[in-house]
Amino acid sequence: MSDNPEVRGCVLPLSLHYSVGDHTWIRLEDDGTALIGMTDVAQNLAGPLLHAKPKKIGATRKKGRPVATVESSKWVGPVKSPISGEVVEVNEAIKTDPTIINRSPYKQGWIVRMQPSDLESEMDSLLTGQAAVDAYRERIESEDLKPCEHVDGFET
Amino acid sequence: MSVDPEGKKILVIQTHGVETPNRTYSPLFYAMAAAAMEMEVLVWFTMDGTNQLKKGAAEQVELKPGSGVTLKTMLENAMESEVELRVCQQSLELFDMTTDDLIDGVDILGATSIIDLALNADHVMYF
Repeated sequence: MSDNPEVRGCVLPLSLHYSVGDHTWIRLEDDGTALIGMTDVAQNLAGPLLHAKPKKIGATRKKGRPVATVESSKWVGPVKSPISGEVVEVNEAIKTDPTIINRSPYKQGWIVRMQPSDLESEMDSLLTGQAAVDAYRERIESEDLKPCEHVDGFET
Repeated sequence: MSVDPEGKKILVIQTHGVETPNRTYSPLFYAMAAAAMEMEVLVWFTMDGTNQLKKGAAEQVELKPGSGVTLKTMLENAMESEVELRVCQQSLELFDMTTDDLIDGVDILGATSIIDLALNADHVMYF
């Protein structure tokens, strides 16, 4: 079984923890921080991104509050944090080339690094592994979301 | 020095309707941008703007043909972004519209309310 299964062409790595409702993921790092980003589904819905504005280092966020705003030609909206904590690093590269998020939503296109403040209790609300894939499949099918296209290449 | 937008209030006044599609998308887009920046956003539809909210009207407007993004899409996206939509009661009556003619999710307010909203907003954008 692939470590990066797809649903309608949308890649969903099994190793990440997802907030399916907000189309976001976190990756827990060895130093106790967590990287946060948009899912492949989210970047596909938004389309090629024109602007990405992460919150500044030092900003404290409650779970569900924006850690960034992103814009395409047809959509603008928040990237809601899946966890509470403090922004300790932002991905400077996406400020100058936000299409990195389209091409590499799970690696080069991470958005902020967060120092979690309440991870233990909040992890229960996130899904990982096959449970995340199944939940995402249900959402994609119930909302009839369009298949993911990776016309400019894709890095998993 | 940039102003912290979080918690500020923006009032968007939309006076244009389905007859002028090129004046309908941007105000909603700016409203969504402000909502994404954690501002409280309210769009007030008055004059011809009222007809955007008539059931069945916004679906017919597609500013960029073939894009699949209709004015209805924009209105729905705005509401999903927690942008509040309000319509002027006097304008409704002027165009012989009633509550039953409106899409879901839009509240009706009178003229004094718009003055209160303007006085209480941090900024008003007029289109």
